[in-house]
Amino acid sequence: MNTRLLILGLNTLVVSLLLVVYGVLVGDNGLVGVAVSLGIVGGVLVVYSTTPQDPSIIALTSYSEILVNATTSALEDLDLLEPSICAIRRADLTLLVYSKTPCPVEVDPGLGFTSGSPYLAIPVKTPIELTESSSEPAVTQLERNLVTLLVDEYSACRSVRVEEEGGFVRVYITGLAETLRQYCERPVDPYALLVLALASSILGARCIRLVDKKATPDGLILVLGVEGVGEKT
Amino acid sequence: MERKLSVLILVYTILVVVSAISLYLLGERRVDVYVSLNILSYYVSYAVMRPSYTSRSVRLLNIVLFAVFTVIVSFRVYEVLTS
Repeated sequence: MNTRLLILGLNTLVVSLLLVVYGVLVGDNGLVGVAVSLGIVGGVLVVYSTTPQDPSIIALTSYSEILVNATTSALEDLDLLEPSICAIRRADLTLLVYSKTPCPVEVDPGLGFTSGSPYLAIPVKTPIELTESSSEPAVTQLERNLVTLLVDEYSACRSVRVEEEGGFVRVYITGLAETLRQYCERPVDPYALLVLALASSILGARCIRLVDKKATPDGLILVLGVEGVGEKT
Repeated sequence: MERKLSVLILVYTILVVVSAISLYLLGERRVDVYVSLNILSYYVSYAVMRPSYTSRSVRLLNIVLFAVFTVIVSFRVYEVLTS
């Protein structure tokens, strides 16, 4: 929320209201027209004051850069530049795991070996406070929370759509932020990581795997494979 | 993004000020003319600047302004047809 813009908009609305009253009292319809026009400007300013501000996306970009640089060198050393990425749900946190084995069972945060192959597990907490509704399907809840996180909170994209198809969840992300678009080609992609972290919290599955990631002219399509729904973690 | 938003607001405000002052000096007394020109100014500035990311409230604003503009134009067309 941009407080300065909000105050400016509200002040403009008040001034326009006073002008409307004055215009009506003196019977000057032209003045009423100007005042109503001013009121619309005030309304537009108030609405635009609610759009996300740059600091969120700047902070996310800065954090992504640090994470990508640090993690990519670790992945290079582990020969995991084309890894299988998945989110494994634990009792209180989610582990984002890079490994050659899809959905490894026993992993701990950090670097390690499982089934003879190396892995890198990054512990993450749910990025936002989830708004859940028991009457809604999980996919709808996921879409709503992704919109809140990626569009409203970070302004990292223009829109998000989620569809469930044949046991897979497809996430369509359009209008990517220019500053984050460069990371889509990298092994550590903030979009994929945020989607996996949130999907893991909402879908309640033991493991959510990034099956496919396609770049489109306008955005990104992520295909998630959900495994072990309802299993205890 | 903030720069785009600032330019959008600046362009929109300039267009509104110019159109409102011109209409007032020309002696226009119909309120709907001011409103429709204001909405047109908004859409012109929005189309020129086109902010990459918009919130739900901005999308709602776009819909509401378009609806208001449609009602005004429809009413004017109806007046012409029935006169």
